[in-house]
Amino acid sequence: MYSFIRSLNYFYTMIYRQVKRFLRARSRVVVSIVQPILWIFLFGMGMGGVFNFQNPMIDAFIRQQFNGLDYMTFLLTGIVAMSIFIGSFISGVSVIFDKQFGFLKETLVSPAPREIILLGRAVGDSLVLLINASIVLALGFMISNQLRPEGVLPALSYGFVLSIGFASLGIAIASRMNSMEGFQMLMNLLIMPLQFVSGIFFPIQRMPDWMQIIAKINPLTYAVDGIRYWLTGRSEFDPMIDIILLMILSIIFLVIAMWSFRKATIED
Amino acid sequence: MSDPVIETIDLVKKFKDIVAVNKVSFKVMRKEIYGLLGPNGAGKTTTINILITLLKPTSGQAFVDGIDVVKSPEKVRKKIGVVFQDPSLDVFLTAYENMYIHGKIYGLGGKELERRIKELLDFVELKPFADKVVRYFSGGMRRRLEIARALLHDPDILILDEPTLGLDPQTRNKIWEYIKAVRKERGITILMTTHYMDEAEFLCDRISIMDHGRIIAEGTPEQLKSIIGSDVVLIKFSDTQKPMCLDNDLDGAIISCRSVSGNRVELVVRDAVKTLPRIFEEYERKGMVIEEISYRRPTLNEVFIYLTGRELRDSLEDQPRPIHRWR
Repeated sequence: MYSFIRSLNYFYTMIYRQVKRFLRARSRVVVSIVQPILWIFLFGMGMGGVFNFQNPMIDAFIRQQFNGLDYMTFLLTGIVAMSIFIGSFISGVSVIFDKQFGFLKETLVSPAPREIILLGRAVGDSLVLLINASIVLALGFMISNQLRPEGVLPALSYGFVLSIGFASLGIAIASRMNSMEGFQMLMNLLIMPLQFVSGIFFPIQRMPDWMQIIAKINPLTYAVDGIRYWLTGRSEFDPMIDIILLMILSIIFLVIAMWSFRKATIED
Repeated sequence: MSDPVIETIDLVKKFKDIVAVNKVSFKVMRKEIYGLLGPNGAGKTTTINILITLLKPTSGQAFVDGIDVVKSPEKVRKKIGVVFQDPSLDVFLTAYENMYIHGKIYGLGGKELERRIKELLDFVELKPFADKVVRYFSGGMRRRLEIARALLHDPDILILDEPTLGLDPQTRNKIWEYIKAVRKERGITILMTTHYMDEAEFLCDRISIMDHGRIIAEGTPEQLKSIIGSDVVLIKFSDTQKPMCLDNDLDGAIISCRSVSGNRVELVVRDAVKTLPRIFEEYERKGMVIEEISYRRPTLNEVFIYLTGRELRDSLEDQPRPIHRWR
């Protein structure tokens, strides 16, 4: 029992550190909020115009393609998931940062178990991202009338599981790398296909078959679908299946991350 | 009292085919300041990294307060405070926050933690900067903060890896004062590495000289100097003459001789007071004009040269170590 309380203490400390650190880097705060907003406005309005024919019949047909949502609402719910996804995936860069600046060693020689340190990092980063996502979502309520306020909390909890999963994966990759530039390049390379094959921008059912297969093994797909369900009531899959699959994948990533973080001594 | 607090037995660490630490054995006694002295690449930091549980030895054993570092690393981590060679602060947090996080992950908390942070920031004279972000700190301030942080959880053993690397002489003196004060006020055991001879000589009760992964000599600074057991005589000749060594060792009174810069030769002699007149005589007979002559007790550098045939200083200046700091 005593050791559990102590673990909780370590856990809380790492959350404290990640959150403090994030808030102090103002440019990061601004970018992580502005970027999704830019997507919504620039891409959403541009693309939304393409799908708007001022003809009730055609418009209804087009909505049908987007789970019965207007394109702006469809995109917006996806972008909420995307901002959490990208933010959590690249949060692993702080492990490399800490390697280069030596803070990682400081935590590695401390009596706190490495698993707890890792979990604290992931949860700390996730909390910040959920706050960001809430801000983006608040904006969403202003421009779309198809959103359900009662779905916000369940949607954010899907977002939380998503961010734990991808923060873990990011940390696992970062534990094995030493260059921030290399990490960022790799992340960009991975983020691009994952976000396009996830139903953020276009529905999965309209994708070619091979792409649908990829979408179905992409954990992000289930987060996008689940978040969209809770925010709008429309989805392609059963939201229960979404959360179960998301949890399983996040736990797998977390275990991989714990394993590789424990192995990440200064030898590599 | 006389039981070793740190003990290594035939410690070996290989990185691929490079042997970084080669059968290193030493014991550090309670309340002692023990130094590992040697050039870069001698294996000092690797030895430290094994002791602080960041590296596993290839073979051999290491104990901290009787605890095996390989078998129970968690227990060892509670006992030690570490100041790393490279900076290890979170530069985006304030001095206080760095201390606070450290205290928390070492299981401290509440009013007690707050009190200790203030006391230690005061000790290293950083109290006025407690709420400043570390990014704006100078190298010396960061080092002081790291020392304060390492002491926060009241460790039995303080481990300092090159504590004054890259600092200016004034700051170095300050750090030395703190290290002396820590031992005096807290009575804790200190293990440190350095490649500065004067630092080892000033701070350490006992020293191991390391080279190429091995300990080549161990003892108090005085004991180490008595390995040479002699004085160093420096002779300067007039500019018109080429400095030269005598071909006669004056019945064994001169142990070694080499030319050094500034038209001088450096002799290691058994007893300077008695040998000086004979040196004068001998050079006069050869027609050499001595312009200046002085003698002094040997430094650890001469001990190092005697033991390895190389200068400690050479290796230091040939490869200046870039300190990685950003912004």
